[in-house]
Amino acid sequence: MSPTRRDGLAGLGGATLAYAFQVGCSRTETIDYANFPAPEKKERQDGRPNYPGVDHRDWLLISSDGTVSAFTARTEMGQGLTTVMYNLLSQALELPDERIRVVLGDTELCPEDGPTTGSAATHYFAWNFWRACHEIKKDLVLLAAEATGLPSEDLEYRAGEIVSRSDSAQRIGIGDLANGQVRRMNLAADDSSVRPPAYIDKGTLSVHAEAIVTGTLQFTGDLTVEGCLYGGLLIPPYHHHMTRLLDKKLNKARKVPDIVDVRRKWWTVAAIGRTYSSVQKALATVEAEWEVPDRPVELDNEREIRSGAVLKQVMDRKGDVDAGLRRSGLVVSESYITQYGSQFPMQTDTAVAKVEPGRTTVWVGSQSPFLARYNTAVAMHQPESEVHVVGLPMGGGFGAKAGHIVASEAANLAEMSGTPVKYVYSRKEEVQHRNRYKESVVIDISSGLTPDGRLLARKMDIFQDEGHGTEELYNIPEVLTLRHAAKMPFKHGTMRGTSYVQTCFAVESHTDMVAEAIGMDPLVFRKRNVLLRAFSPLIDSCAEMMRYGKYQPPDDHGVGFGIINHGGRQLGVVGAEVSVDRASGEIKVVRLCGAYDIGVVINRNTARMGIRGAMLWGLGYALLEEVQLDGHSCHTTGFSSYRIPRFSDTPPIEVAFLDNQHPGAPRGCGEMPLPATLAAICNAVYNAIGVRFRAIPMTPERVLAALREGLS
Amino acid sequence: MAKNRYSLNVNGQRRQVEAEPDEPLLWVLRDFLGLTGTKFACGEGECGACSVLIDGDEYPSCQVSVEDVAGGEEIVTIEGLGKPGELSPVQKAFMDYTAFGCGYCTPGMIIAATALLRSNPHPTRDQIIAAMDHHLCRCATYPNVLVAIESLAGSSDEEDN
Repeated sequence: MSPTRRDGLAGLGGATLAYAFQVGCSRTETIDYANFPAPEKKERQDGRPNYPGVDHRDWLLISSDGTVSAFTARTEMGQGLTTVMYNLLSQALELPDERIRVVLGDTELCPEDGPTTGSAATHYFAWNFWRACHEIKKDLVLLAAEATGLPSEDLEYRAGEIVSRSDSAQRIGIGDLANGQVRRMNLAADDSSVRPPAYIDKGTLSVHAEAIVTGTLQFTGDLTVEGCLYGGLLIPPYHHHMTRLLDKKLNKARKVPDIVDVRRKWWTVAAIGRTYSSVQKALATVEAEWEVPDRPVELDNEREIRSGAVLKQVMDRKGDVDAGLRRSGLVVSESYITQYGSQFPMQTDTAVAKVEPGRTTVWVGSQSPFLARYNTAVAMHQPESEVHVVGLPMGGGFGAKAGHIVASEAANLAEMSGTPVKYVYSRKEEVQHRNRYKESVVIDISSGLTPDGRLLARKMDIFQDEGHGTEELYNIPEVLTLRHAAKMPFKHGTMRGTSYVQTCFAVESHTDMVAEAIGMDPLVFRKRNVLLRAFSPLIDSCAEMMRYGKYQPPDDHGVGFGIINHGGRQLGVVGAEVSVDRASGEIKVVRLCGAYDIGVVINRNTARMGIRGAMLWGLGYALLEEVQLDGHSCHTTGFSSYRIPRFSDTPPIEVAFLDNQHPGAPRGCGEMPLPATLAAICNAVYNAIGVRFRAIPMTPERVLAALREGLS
Repeated sequence: MAKNRYSLNVNGQRRQVEAEPDEPLLWVLRDFLGLTGTKFACGEGECGACSVLIDGDEYPSCQVSVEDVAGGEEIVTIEGLGKPGELSPVQKAFMDYTAFGCGYCTPGMIIAATALLRSNPHPTRDQIIAAMDHHLCRCATYPNVLVAIESLAGSSDEEDN
């Protein structure tokens, strides 16, 4: 019998004192343990749960042994969230790491919440913990006054104790205040009066560092559960078509050593075996004929996207854009298209499931454990209360692990097998069939200008199924942004950078073309038109790092810049220098520099790691990455047919942090450097060879073709 | 295919396994011997996550069959390099320079760096890149890995970390 949430909390060490906190309410109250927490889950129209995402409820628990545990549904994806949490709690509560415990993504221990996406975890969740700790210290002083009879004005919090100012011999440990209560704390929505940490970063190492370098950190695939067998499903050769299996012969599969069971299951064949290899072998022997999907993918990707697109959403409207464009002395109109991308986390999607009467447990590296719980409950025809999802280190997510099919499949296979089952997707299975690709997006953009280089009007038509909005970069009086959606023949989903990647590529490529059309330096043009003044010092800092204007790049080298405003809270300016080999068509990024405003940096090591990684993802989008779809089939099967950035692609990368927009709150950084780097590289290529690529990636074949045709 | 008995030399110990001759060493380590520090990521020898040392050289264990290493070849996995509290110099450097993100590719990277530094104790940056280039990291922590290896190679162009 696994512990209940209540047991789990109590089991952390004798009596406890729990704080539940959330943002945006005004009352403070002590709540009933039995009803804690009461999830304010709302049903969406499609019957799936909706996590409003505004209250970001989290818990902090003080145990009688004086340890402090933090609980949140957010998950560790390798972005360093656990380390950030230790750093914050350690500083806020003046405690050593040994007295801190961080529990992420366990649906029985952690408060119900939405997925870990959009570089939001540090901004919302870590910052709220920081704020809550300061309120909790005040509350602990009041509890200590009650417990000791000393006047609260005389008491203060010091490193895990409440100490009398007048007589420091009078003190009580926070563990001694653990009285079984649960106290709910409401943090004001307006955090402008909150004192930010002066500086948190002490260059501390990742808390997982030693486990990672010794191979002892347990990822989902490394978990062993007694009696566990491997499970797997036969996957059709067509991307995301769950079509009918027309014929199958299972005898050969059943004779594979270590195979326990092979049978028809759902739309396909399931195999259960004692080893990963036996399952793969058995599935490979099945002679299957598949129904061919009735609608092939249009080979001309742009036509596919434009055809049948219907206006879905007015994303932004200011003034009268047509009048604005008519008034403009100069109008520049362009069109851009991006590729399909795939996340390629190093660990493929993996889950372990154990089914007992009235109880299903799934261990999975999921970006959204509560959605995994919901999906598993639906698949198992069980109430959510009977499903326990335990989040484990996932070996990279990048948006790929927000879907949770593997969790419910493992549970269904465990039920079928009567034993616990581990399901490890093969790379081909993950990439070809399970993956939700980053959407290919077409963007038409027209800008009108005054003769002195001010943007007057902009019309954008974005052909994209899922719109997440775009943050306006420039101050433009007349704006119209429309989203047109076409029905895609295959599934698409979240991937690092969301739709900022596609729009930033188009807008920032276009910005350089517009600046050139009126003969203005691209950085001068940006400074003249940028919406947020906070960009100016970032532009200056990045230009300085690139020695822009003081440095003459060699022949066939070029320098370019891109800027990004992610969610209004993360700002970045990236500069790139590239070299282009006109004979081979190969583009090499020579160096990258990024200036960022992301609020206070909690851990410089993990922040730089994340930012450099995101910049290299920008390089990948610009030059390397593209899912190959053709007719019914996906020709991308693994790393050999999808180039991700490597050591030899990696240029020197310089990173500078500036904090000037609204100093204080940490605001996250995992996605925002990506789109700006992509745009900077495209602009640098234009600067080098005078060719403007409307489509990415800029592969050697495309570069050679463009040079031959003299495209510009 | 029938199963055979094999006696393998893993991390200085004799280990008996019963497997089909074509069973990849990767899954022998993970499923038969419980050595899960060696990771599965592609199964095609394209990414380096499953690298182990065989007689001192680095191999992707997904491309090596159990039969290939049944002759007493010395197999060393990440578990054989060091343990928590007893780190090898390469493990220590990866830790000190935060040369990882999610950590999934790290054991393979450490194996490769160990093999490189044994055969060439003072590699240049270009030599490090050439030796490590088949190791993929989707968190793209390559700059930190380079600095970590350079700290052991005694080269001087360390960048600020």
